[in-house]
Amino acid sequence: MKASDSTPTTSLLPLTTAWLALVALTLISLGLGQWFHGAPWLPLLVAAIVWIKGTLVAREFIESRLTHPFISRVLTGFIAFTPIALVLTAFFGGQFARWATL
Amino acid sequence: MNAAALPVDYPSSPAPAGRRIPGNKGMWVGITCEFVEFLVLFITYFVARSHFPESFEQGADRLSRISGTVITLLMVTSSFFIACSVATMRAGQRQRSIYWLIAGLIVALGYPVAKYLEINWNLAHGINGESGIFFTVYYYLTFNHLVHATWGILGMLWVLVRHLSGGYTVEDHDGLEALASYWHATDIIWLVIFPFFYVLA
Repeated sequence: MKASDSTPTTSLLPLTTAWLALVALTLISLGLGQWFHGAPWLPLLVAAIVWIKGTLVAREFIESRLTHPFISRVLTGFIAFTPIALVLTAFFGGQFARWATL
Repeated sequence: MNAAALPVDYPSSPAPAGRRIPGNKGMWVGITCEFVEFLVLFITYFVARSHFPESFEQGADRLSRISGTVITLLMVTSSFFIACSVATMRAGQRQRSIYWLIAGLIVALGYPVAKYLEINWNLAHGINGESGIFFTVYYYLTFNHLVHATWGILGMLWVLVRHLSGGYTVEDHDGLEALASYWHATDIIWLVIFPFFYVLA
């Protein structure tokens, strides 16, 4: 394991790279909503982008790879929830609505 | 519980690799509660969306996508600046750390301004909390996030005052890192909210 993998960063390079990726993914998301309006596979792509962006912030800004396992699991679980829910409701929305009816 | 049962955490004590607590435990209790609160709101979103798919497909077209994108860019940029503030503090560059923190605060202040302009735009286009289920969920979730972001901005002001008065050192800057952790978590929440209302149609 490299030292940079086990100690908190003092370099701005990985932070800058992550920020540029976040900006690019945000602009791509904006275009997706307009170019592929109503496409059935749009939720899949959006789910992937949400997961990548959340993971980038957790890994590069919070440095979740160095954190206590509880914190790491909380971040992983929270970031994974929405992409999974987006995919499930995209394909099983009607069934989910029936389950969620009072 | 007696004192012997309470583990004492010294701020400068090095944590073993893979066991770090960025900031302090109290902040991570707060962040975990924040995540749980928003998970409940996200479930509400998915229940409403599955019951009224047409309203949610049409709703995003009526909102200002530019506003949502601007807020997202403000959040990720502010989060980046705060992360730079922590990294430069670790490197012993206190003055640069303060500049990054000020930059993060200024960019973060753009969020409530952008939200104010967005709400004015909405009202001018006849969109309010009673315009339908999509907009009710939209206002509830985004206002809730704005409240959490406001706490973060107030936290930045407090941390800035402490930083300017020499409250942080290379060995002990847990307060700065706790604030950074909260702001990054609030950023992650917005990155989830953004496609809910501005991308998916």
